[in-house]
Amino acid sequence: MNEFWIDIANFLSSEKIWGLTRAIILVVVGAVTAKLASSTLTKVAGKKIDSHRSMLLKRGTYYLIFILFLISALRELGFNLSVLLGAAGVFTVAIGFASQTSASNLISGLFLVAERPFTVGDIIRIGTTTGEVLSIDLLSVKLRTFDNLFVRLPNESLIKSEVTTLTRFPIRRLDIMVGVAYKEDLKNVRTVLDEVASKNPLCLEEPKPLYIFQGFGESSLDIQYSVWAKRENFLNLKNSMHEEIKNAFDECNIEIPFPHRTLYTGSATEPFPVQTVPNK
Amino acid sequence: MTRKTDKTGSWWGDFHIENEKNIEWRIGPLKLIVRRLNNEWHIAHEPINDLDNDDFFWGKKDTDQLPDSLNNNSRYVFRDTTGQLSITPQLADRPIISRPLTPFNLMAGEEVTLYVSTSLWLEVATGSSPKKILQSIAIQRLSDTWFGPSTLEGELCYASTTHCRLNYEDLPQRAHRAITPVLIRNHTNTTLLLERLNLPTPLLALYVSSSEQLWTPQVTLTREKDGDMAELKIDNQPPSVAEQMQQLNEARNKVDNGVLFRAFNTIFS
Repeated sequence: MNEFWIDIANFLSSEKIWGLTRAIILVVVGAVTAKLASSTLTKVAGKKIDSHRSMLLKRGTYYLIFILFLISALRELGFNLSVLLGAAGVFTVAIGFASQTSASNLISGLFLVAERPFTVGDIIRIGTTTGEVLSIDLLSVKLRTFDNLFVRLPNESLIKSEVTTLTRFPIRRLDIMVGVAYKEDLKNVRTVLDEVASKNPLCLEEPKPLYIFQGFGESSLDIQYSVWAKRENFLNLKNSMHEEIKNAFDECNIEIPFPHRTLYTGSATEPFPVQTVPNK
Repeated sequence: MTRKTDKTGSWWGDFHIENEKNIEWRIGPLKLIVRRLNNEWHIAHEPINDLDNDDFFWGKKDTDQLPDSLNNNSRYVFRDTTGQLSITPQLADRPIISRPLTPFNLMAGEEVTLYVSTSLWLEVATGSSPKKILQSIAIQRLSDTWFGPSTLEGELCYASTTHCRLNYEDLPQRAHRAITPVLIRNHTNTTLLLERLNLPTPLLALYVSSSEQLWTPQVTLTREKDGDMAELKIDNQPPSVAEQMQQLNEARNKVDNGVLFRAFNTIFS
C-alpha cells in the first residue's frame, strides 16, 4: 500500500505532471486569449466591414491564436513537432483526396467572399431558384426562397454558374410585352401607353419609358414597352401597369388580339359547309 | 352638425378635437379625416381627383363621414387621448426634379433666378412636449424619378408636376405648395443648357409669409469655372421676396454651413 502512495508521490513530483499542467494552462489561456482577441478585433473593425467578413475575421483570429497555443502545449507534453507536422502533411494530402468536394467548395467560398457578387440580405437568382441570401458560409450559401423554403447552394456551383443579383442597383426595368390588333393606329397606342406610364406614380419619369416595335406577330403587332421603377416597387408596378394598360386599351377601344386561325382548304376544294343551329 | 369652411388663415397649426368628433380637411388635392375616440386617433386620407381650377382652396369642417370609408386609414391607440392635434407642413423627403417649360441656355458669365414650386407633406402629431408623430402624408402623390448620369449612379427623387418659372408672378399660388427661389450662376466660359433641376428639398427649412404663402430659403447654384463641380449654397434666412416671414419648420437634414459641393451632373441635366 505504501508503495502505491510512493508511486503517486513520485509521479506528482515528476517533470511529466508539470508538463501536463503547463500544457493544460496553455490551452486554457490560449482559448481565453483567442476569444478575447477575436472579439476585440471584430468590435474594432465592426463598422468598416460587413457581417460576413467580420464573422470570418473572428473565426480566423480565434483559430490562429488557439492553434499557436495548442502547438506550444503539445511541445510541453514532449511531442516532437517536426515529426508531428510531417505526419500532418501526409494526413492533409490523404484528407485532401478524400474531401475533394469540400475543399473545392471551401476555396470557392473564399473566392466568393473576395469577389462579393452579393451580400447577406440580397436577393439572388441562380438557375430557377430565386431567394434572399441568409448566409454566405465557407462551404455553401443559404437562401430563403419566396415560398419560404430553405435552399443550400454549394459554393462551387455558385462560382461555376450565372448568378443574378436582383438587389444590386436601386432601380429596375420592367419589360411589358403587349400585342395590339393589326387594325390599330400605332401612334395612338404609343400615346395611350405613355399616358398610362405618366399617370402611374411608381413609374419613374426618368429614365423615360422605352417603346420598341418588336415586329409583325402571328396575330398581333408586337410591342415592348419598358418602364423603370424603384427596386422595392417593382412588383407593385408590374401589377398596376398591366392592369392600367388593359383598362386604358379597353377605354380607347384598342384591341388586344388573341391568336386567330383561318382554315383554308385550298382553291381546289369547295368551301366548308357552314350550318347555323338555332338556340334551344 | 356645424359646417365651417375656412379660406383664410392657415391649414396647419394646433387644433382641439372633441371626443368622438370627426374633422375633415381639404388641402389642395388631399382629403384628410381625423377622428378622436377615448383612447385612439383614427386618421384617413385620399386624393381628390375631380379638382376644379381653384385648387388653392383649403377647408376644414366637422363631418359625419367615418375614416373607415376612405382607403388609406390607420388607427393609433393611446391610454387616453388629450384632444390636442397638430398639423405641420413639411417639405419632401427626397429631392424634387423640376423642369422649365422649355429648356433654356444660360449664357457664360450670366445668372438667373428661377422660382420652383414644390408640393408639401403634412405631419399629424398629438400631445405636447414632446409631440407624438402619428403620420406623415403627402398632399399630392408625386411620381418617382431618377436623377443621375446613368442608371448605376444617381439618386431617387420626386418629379415635380409643375414647371419652374423665370417670373415669380407666373407661378400659381397654392396653399399646399412652397416656393423656392433658385439663383443659378454660370461662372464658366461655356453656355449652360438647363433641362432639369435637382432641388434638394430635404435640406431646406420652411417659412410662411404674412399672406400665408409658404417659402423656403433661397438656393444658390454656382457652376464653377474649372472642373465638373457646382457649389450649392442654402441661405439660413428666409428669401427677401416677401416680408414678415416666420419659420414653420426646420430642414429634415441639416447642412453645417449651408454650402455643399456636388458633381455638376447631380444638380443639372
